[in-house]
Amino acid sequence: MAATPFTAPPMDAKATELPKVDEVVDYNNLPCPLPYEEIHRESLMSLKPEVFEGMRFDFNKALGPKFFLSHSVTMGPTEVPSQSPEPIKIPTANYEFGANYIDPKLMLIGRVSHDGRLNARLKADLTDNLIVKGNASLTSEPHMSHAMGTFDYKGTDYRAQLQVGSGTLLGANYIQSVTPHISLGGEIFWAGQHRKSGVGYAARYSNDKTVATGQVASTGMVALSYVQKVSEKLSFATEFSYNHMSKDVTATVGYDAVLRQARVRGKIDSNGCVTGFLEERLNVGLTFILSAELDHKKKDYKFGFGFTAGE
Amino acid sequence: MASKGKGRKARDEDEESKTFKCVKEWTNWSLKKAKVITHYGLIPLIIYIGMNSEPKPTVSQLLSPF
Repeated sequence: MAATPFTAPPMDAKATELPKVDEVVDYNNLPCPLPYEEIHRESLMSLKPEVFEGMRFDFNKALGPKFFLSHSVTMGPTEVPSQSPEPIKIPTANYEFGANYIDPKLMLIGRVSHDGRLNARLKADLTDNLIVKGNASLTSEPHMSHAMGTFDYKGTDYRAQLQVGSGTLLGANYIQSVTPHISLGGEIFWAGQHRKSGVGYAARYSNDKTVATGQVASTGMVALSYVQKVSEKLSFATEFSYNHMSKDVTATVGYDAVLRQARVRGKIDSNGCVTGFLEERLNVGLTFILSAELDHKKKDYKFGFGFTAGE
Repeated sequence: MASKGKGRKARDEDEESKTFKCVKEWTNWSLKKAKVITHYGLIPLIIYIGMNSEPKPTVSQLLSPF
């Protein structure tokens, strides 16, 4: 079957390379696509570092190749949702103990904080193709706990997923590879508590150097992203998101550089928000983290520093 | 005869809604119990699974900070 020169879907930001004329595309042997929620994975890695404010110290103690405990201390202001446009911050200190068991077939992560809040994640391979995932956030306060379970089925060149969540949340999505580089998918969800339902579509084009994704949803959300890998160590990413209901438009440009001992990520936003994130490996098993987020529009400046000890 | 038929249908619907309410209450009760069990038992379960995986760590390794 000769390859037909394909035209890129209109959501791509740049022109794509045409395959060479003598390359044969075997449509019966397409690769398995990434899961639907990971379509934006490269742009999320570059553009959404885990910025934090205050001090953070994590200690991971390995008790075996699959089992480790983690202790995490954070101190700093946390934001409280408020009616006024200025954010209200309350200084808090938090200690969290976690137990993690990671096996190729079963992954269990549990974190309990000093005020009794439990965050748990589970991923189990029931068969070669069926994966069960669950995550839950449980507290002693009534009606403040959430849980969500998903069932993933992985086919030869497609993936299907069913999600069930607390608050009667139901969702299903499906993604299929149509060529070796392009995959298309759709999703449908229903949130019983908020009486909302919606349909969404996504497309992803990836090759060795670029990844372009686009997503639209009936909630009025349009999100496009483009990541270009300039070299093994440096990649640039840009994202554009538009919400038709609230007429919110945001454009973001960022970079991700992996240096010998450090990893630097930075981004700038059309809302006047500049973010920088640095992770530096000081020594074997000791990593230093610096995070800064300057929101000039809201006049909210957040700086954080921390250490991670252990792997 | 017609009134007897209507009575039977109403009784059937009553029984159906009663069983439905029973099932709903039972699932609510079991979900509440499952939430409490998970809240208290998940971390001990993970520690138990981890302590029984190869190579078996000792309790002193579990409790010491090194």
